[in-house]
Amino acid sequence: MKKKILVVEDERTLCLLYEEELSKEGYDITAVTDAEAALAKLAQGSFDLIITDIRMPGKNGIELITQIMGLRKDIPIIINSAYQSYKEDFMTWAADAYVVKSSSLDELKSKIKQLLGD
Amino acid sequence: MIEKYSILSPDFERDAPRELMLLSIISQSFFQPFSLEDNLLVILTALTSGSGVGFNRAMLFLKQGDRLRGEMWLGPRSAEEAGLIWEVLSTPGIGYVEIVEHNRALVSKNEDTLSARLKGLVYAADDENALIPAYAACRKEILLVSGASSEPLVDRRFLNLIGVEQFLCIPLLARDDVVGEIILDNAITRTPITPADIKLAGICGLLAGNYIYSSTLHRKLLDVEKMAAMGEMAMFVTHQLRNPIVAIGGFTDQLLKPDVADDKKLRNLTIIRDEIRRLEDIIYQMGHFLKVSLKEPVYFDPGPVLSGVLDSPDIQNKAHGYVLNVKLDPCLPDILCDPTSFGEVVRNLLDNAFDATPAGGAVSVRGYRKNPTAFVVSVRDTGRGLTNPDKEQLFQPFFTTKEKGMGLGLPFTKRVMDTCGGKIEVQSRVGRGALFKLIFLCREREMP
Repeated sequence: MKKKILVVEDERTLCLLYEEELSKEGYDITAVTDAEAALAKLAQGSFDLIITDIRMPGKNGIELITQIMGLRKDIPIIINSAYQSYKEDFMTWAADAYVVKSSSLDELKSKIKQLLGD
Repeated sequence: MIEKYSILSPDFERDAPRELMLLSIISQSFFQPFSLEDNLLVILTALTSGSGVGFNRAMLFLKQGDRLRGEMWLGPRSAEEAGLIWEVLSTPGIGYVEIVEHNRALVSKNEDTLSARLKGLVYAADDENALIPAYAACRKEILLVSGASSEPLVDRRFLNLIGVEQFLCIPLLARDDVVGEIILDNAITRTPITPADIKLAGICGLLAGNYIYSSTLHRKLLDVEKMAAMGEMAMFVTHQLRNPIVAIGGFTDQLLKPDVADDKKLRNLTIIRDEIRRLEDIIYQMGHFLKVSLKEPVYFDPGPVLSGVLDSPDIQNKAHGYVLNVKLDPCLPDILCDPTSFGEVVRNLLDNAFDATPAGGAVSVRGYRKNPTAFVVSVRDTGRGLTNPDKEQLFQPFFTTKEKGMGLGLPFTKRVMDTCGGKIEVQSRVGRGALFKLIFLCREREMP
């Protein structure tokens, strides 16, 4: 059975890119563009991994992680941000991995494999 | 009974004693929206015109680091020119702004050899053995030099430049530091400098010194703010640029794989093109915001610029599907701003109003005179309105309530309004739309 990944990314083009590229790796991808939608999806079903941006309109990625941690501590989380500097914010340390956005998705794919034990 | 008086009088009282008028002009330099150079020239004008202290010519040296440098000179080169120049403060209804305009014209016309030679004069600012004129600044003493050619303490290069036997050196002090020096003489009328002139010029020196000091501090503060904004900007730009780059890179990688279907090729190329346009837009906006300096404000008729913005194709396109109400006073005064920046800030407010208002809503533009010296351009929308925290952050660079905004429009608008001595006000409540008011200094239009 395919492993399920929830992608939270406010840029629609990046959602599309992640959806296509990670599906090719054999994952079942659900992509949403804000934190509220992510929480709604989490309430509906289970996921094996969450990938989230930090700077998003409305609730940001750090607030989302805090809320997820209160709900489901067992789901690994990857922060995927355009900002290097959030690595220094201890609130991001709760995540299992921090990947700076890049036009090559190799690092992201490799972290996913590592966290899912593939 | 309560009577109100303006702190900054738009014109100077002709019948006031010359001392009061001179101090009034110089004190205003602290509050005027003009450059340091413009304001310093006004101070020199006040010291040299027939209605000021009455000196014929004034030279200004400014302290830069540990040097005292010749900076600017004001005064006639001949008796004929004197009459023309001294007229400026004798004109009825003359105000600070008119003096600035007069001086700008004079300086651009008179970029003469004397100014160039003055700029070549540089002295150590803290030399115990300094020659005159630097001696006065180094010792923090007012000096009246008479019989200059036989006085060994006078620097010969300086004497050759000014070519008079009597002159007055006024050090410019602020918080016990020297910030410059003014040299005054009566080269044209050859009138002796009186003790009363010296006293008054000394007080002017203190005011001018403190004006230079506060302007320098203000400039340093702006630099610090700019550096902080640059740090914030670097972080923001990283994010803004990285997202389109990731999309361009990712969709290009897909295209490079074999057997890509034609419809997917077309879709990816469209995404790549759109993202490149987005990058161009980001670069344009950043460059615009980072423009090192705005142009000096001038008085102009805002009517044609307002019409140009309201009739422009992009605003007309945006207005499609909205109700756009425009109500301008039939007779608009001249306002003080750089005309190009004025057009940009009005366009900016209109863009925001349309973006904030749902289709079918109304956007209203008004242009009206609030009082004899203030003209208001207001833009009201019927959009979602602003929360109090939003209102507090509106003018911070990179703060935006839009999904795709960069948060640079309102900080730019604030910068423009600060530069021209105007202000921006905002009134808004959640769900009740927003009203932005640009308030400009204004005056009656001069008849051609």
